Amino acid sequence: MRPRDRELLLLLLAAVLAVVSYVAVYSGVFREISRWSLVYAGIFVVIFALLHLLMRFRLAEADPYLLPVAALLTAIGLAEIYRISPSLALLQGRWLVAGAVVFVLTVLLIRDPVKLDRYRYIIGALGLLLLAVTIVFGTEINGAKLWIRFAGFGFQPAEFAKICIVIFLAGYLNDKKELLSVPTGRLFGMPVPRVRYFGPLLVMWALSILLLILLRDFGASLLLLTIFIALIYMATSRLVYALVGMTLFGIGAFLAYELVPHVQDRFAIWLDPWATADTTGYQLLQSLFTMADGGVLGQGLGRGYLLFPDGRPVVPDLQTDFIFSAVANELGMLGAIGMILCYLLFCWRGFHIAIWAPDGFSKLLAAGLSAAFALQTFIIIGGVTRLIPLTGITLPFVSYGGSSLLANLMLLALLLMVSHRSNVVLRGTAAERFRLAEGG
Amino acid sequence: MNKAIVRTFMALAVLFAALMVNVVYIQVIRAGALRDKPQNRARILQEARVERGRILAFDGSVIAGSRKRDGYWQRTYPQGRFAPQTVGYSSLRYGQSGIEASMDDYLTGQAVDLGLRSWLDRLLDRDPEGADVRLTLVPAVQKAARQALGSQTGAIVALDPVTGAVMAVASTPDYDPAQLVDRFAQLSKRESAPLLDRALQGLYPPGSSFKVLTAGAALQTGVATPETVFEDTGTYRVSGGKVTNYGDEVFGVNTLTEALTYSINTTFGKLGNELRRQRLIAYMERFGFWDRPPLELPQSMVRISGRFDDDALLPPGAPMDPLAVAWAAVGQEQVLATPLQMALVAAAVANGGRIMQPYLVDRVITAQGGEVRVTKPVVWKEALDARHAVQLNEMMQQVVDVGTGTAAALSGIDVAGKTGTAERGDANQAWFIGFASAEAPRVAVAVTIEDTPGTGGAVAAPLAAAVMRAALDEDALP
Repeated sequence: MRPRDRELLLLLLAAVLAVVSYVAVYSGVFREISRWSLVYAGIFVVIFALLHLLMRFRLAEADPYLLPVAALLTAIGLAEIYRISPSLALLQGRWLVAGAVVFVLTVLLIRDPVKLDRYRYIIGALGLLLLAVTIVFGTEINGAKLWIRFAGFGFQPAEFAKICIVIFLAGYLNDKKELLSVPTGRLFGMPVPRVRYFGPLLVMWALSILLLILLRDFGASLLLLTIFIALIYMATSRLVYALVGMTLFGIGAFLAYELVPHVQDRFAIWLDPWATADTTGYQLLQSLFTMADGGVLGQGLGRGYLLFPDGRPVVPDLQTDFIFSAVANELGMLGAIGMILCYLLFCWRGFHIAIWAPDGFSKLLAAGLSAAFALQTFIIIGGVTRLIPLTGITLPFVSYGGSSLLANLMLLALLLMVSHRSNVVLRGTAAERFRLAEGG
Repeated sequence: MNKAIVRTFMALAVLFAALMVNVVYIQVIRAGALRDKPQNRARILQEARVERGRILAFDGSVIAGSRKRDGYWQRTYPQGRFAPQTVGYSSLRYGQSGIEASMDDYLTGQAVDLGLRSWLDRLLDRDPEGADVRLTLVPAVQKAARQALGSQTGAIVALDPVTGAVMAVASTPDYDPAQLVDRFAQLSKRESAPLLDRALQGLYPPGSSFKVLTAGAALQTGVATPETVFEDTGTYRVSGGKVTNYGDEVFGVNTLTEALTYSINTTFGKLGNELRRQRLIAYMERFGFWDRPPLELPQSMVRISGRFDDDALLPPGAPMDPLAVAWAAVGQEQVLATPLQMALVAAAVANGGRIMQPYLVDRVITAQGGEVRVTKPVVWKEALDARHAVQLNEMMQQVVDVGTGTAAALSGIDVAGKTGTAERGDANQAWFIGFASAEAPRVAVAVTIEDTPGTGGAVAAPLAAAVMRAALDEDALP
C-alpha cells in the first residue's frame, strides 16, 4: 500500500473515533444525541481531509502515521475540552482551523526544510526574540510568566521559540559537530573534547537558568535544556556532553530551588501534597483522585464527575495542563495508556525519519523536534501524575490553547517535510529529485 | 550519528514506560485507597447527584433532610443545632464527618445490604436512592441537654444503661449546620473549637467522678466493703508526696460509703494503694478505658480514655509510683476520660455491673420502607458482678441524698450519682455522673463543664437533673 493510502485508512479510523467520542460526550453531558455533536465532528473531519489532500499533492512520500496520530490526539482533546466547557471547545475549533492554515503555509512556503539551515541565525534570533518578548510583556499566570496578551488573545511565544531553537541548534551543531566531537584529552579514561568546546553547552545552560529566573517558568527552561542535551549528544555521539549536561542541569535545578520560591513550592507539593491538601496541594491531589476514579475502564466520555455544580472543574486548569487527568478519568487506565502509546508512536516515527534522513541537518532537525515533542509530553504527564514535580506546560495536540496547537501542527508539518524529502532522495524518481534540487 | 539517535529514542522510551507504570499504579493499584480519601471531591460530587437519605431522630423527626438545588442535592436541618458535631457534614469542599461519613454507603444507597433494588439501580446505571438512617437520639433529651449547657463550654452524654442506646450527645460551643459551608474556615480556626465533639472526643481529668470506679474495684476485689472504716487527717502522705482533700477539709473517721458521699480524697488515695497499680488499671480496663467505645462513627471521632502523657495514650502497663496510684484513684494524675466514657461508668453501676455496647444508629430504613440493619443491644464489658454493683448503687444514692450531689436530686425519684471537681490550673473541670431511677434505671448521664470556678456539685449536678428529668418524662425511649 502506498504511504498516502495507508494514511487515508488510518485517518478514517481516527475520524470514526472522533465522531464516536463527540456523540458520547454530547449524550453523556446533555443526555441526548443532537446534530450539533455531528457538526463538530464534521468540521474536524473536513480539516484533516483537507490536510490529507495537501499531503497527496505536496508530500506524497512522507510518513503515513504521523498525521493520523496527531488527528486522533486532537480529536480526543477536542472532545474532552468540549466536555469540560463547550464555549472553550468552540474557540479550540477555531484554533484548529488556524492551525491547519499554519500547517498549509509551512508546507507551501518553506517547501524544502533543508533551506532552513541557511537562515539558522535569523531563526535562532527569532526564537530568542520570542522569549524576550515574553519576558518584557508577559503577564503572570499561576506564578509563571508565560503569556503575552495581544488584541484580546493570550499567546504563548515559548511554544514557537522551542521550534526556532531546535532549528537553530540542528543547523549549528551539524556544522560544528566534527569540531565538538574531536577528543583531545582524557578524563577518567573517557575521551573528552577541549574545555572551550563546552562553550555552547554553557551558553544554553545559562540561557535556561536566566529564563527560569526571569520567567519563573520551570517547565520551559527544563524543556529547553533537555532538548539541547539530547541534540548535542546526537550530533557528537559523545556521552560526555550528556553527562556534563546532566550535571549542569542538577546544579541549575539546585540554584533554581534556592533562588526561586515558586520552584520551592512546586517541589514541596511534589514531595508531600497531603500536607497542603486544601491549598497548594489541592490541584495535584484532585488530579490523582480524578485519575483513580477512572479506574481501568474509565467513567465513559462525558460521564465522569469533573465539574462542580457551578461549572468550575474540580481540578483547576483541567482543560489545559491537567487534561491528561480528565482523559484518564473518562477513558480509564486503558485510555490513558493508549494515549501515552500514541505519543510514543509519534515520537518513534519522528526518530525513524531522523535515522533515514540523508543529511546531518535533517537528521538533527527531525530528531530534535521529536525529542522536544516527547520531552514536553513526559514533563506534563509526569507532572500531573506526580512522577516528577509539576511544571505548567501543555500536552501537545490535546490541551486547550491556540499557541500550543499551532506550534505543534507546525512541528508536525516540518517532520513530514523532512520525511518526504528523505524518501524522495532515497527512492524517488529522477524528476522529483531534480525538482527538489531546484528548490521546489 | 544514528547510534546516538537510536539511544536517545531508547532513553525517551524508558521515560514513557515509567509514565505507563505510574498510570497503572494510580488507576489500578492505589485506586481504591485514593477513592476513599476524604479529600476526594469527585466522589462527594458523584454523591451529590444522589438524593441523600435523611438522618432521623428516634421519634422519626428529621435531623438532616434533603432539598434539590441546581440539579444537586443539599442538606436541610429542620431542627437547627441538633448534635451538629455528631451528625456531621458531607460537603463538596470540606469532605465528610460524623454519621454522614460513617453511614455514607447507606445514605447514598450504595451499601450492599440495601437489597435487590439498589443492585438494579447500579446495573442500569441509575442514580440509586439513599436510605434513611434513624438514630437513637431522643429530641426531648437532646434539647434538654443542649439547653442545660447554655453558653457554657462543656458536654453532656445521656444513654440508656440497659440497652446502650445514646439518647443525647451535646457539646458546646456548637454551630449552625446550615451555615457550616460558608463559615467552615472561620469555625475550624476558632480557639473554642466548635467543630470538636467534646462529648466523644474531649479528654478531661475525671476528678472525683472517677471514685465510682475505684470504689467498684475495691468492693469487688474485697479490699473494702461499704462499711470499712478509714481515718482522715486531711493529708495522706505517700512516697515523698501527699494527697489532700478538696478545700483542705478534714473528715476524721469515715466509712467507705461516707468517703464516697463526701468525696474524701485521702480515703480513696489509700484505697488505690491497697488495690495497687495493677488491679486499679485492670478495673479501668474492665470499665472500658483503653478501648474505643464502638459507636457508629469514624474512628477519629471517638477517643479512647486512659492514662496520657501529653497527648499520647500510655500503655496500661506503664509504671506508676504509689503517689501516682493514689492520685489516679481520685481521678487526677494522668488519667483522662471522655464524657462518653464517664457515662459508661455510671451505666455500668446502673445495669448491675454490665456495660452495654453504646450505639447511635437505631436502624436504616430503605426508600421502599424496608428496615435493615436494626441494632440489637449487646454486652460490651463485664465491669462488676451484680452484688457489688447494687452496693455501689446504694452508695451513689447517698451522694445525691445527703452528699456533694444533692443538686441532682429529683422529686419522687431516687437518683444515684457522683460529683467531680478536677483542678486544672486556676479553674475547675466540673463533673457529675449518675443515673435515674436508682431502682429501675432508664437513663445514665455524664455532664462536664470546662473552665468553671464552681464545683461539680454546684455546676454540673443541676444540669444532670434536668437531662434525667427530660428522659424520665419521655414515654418512648430506645
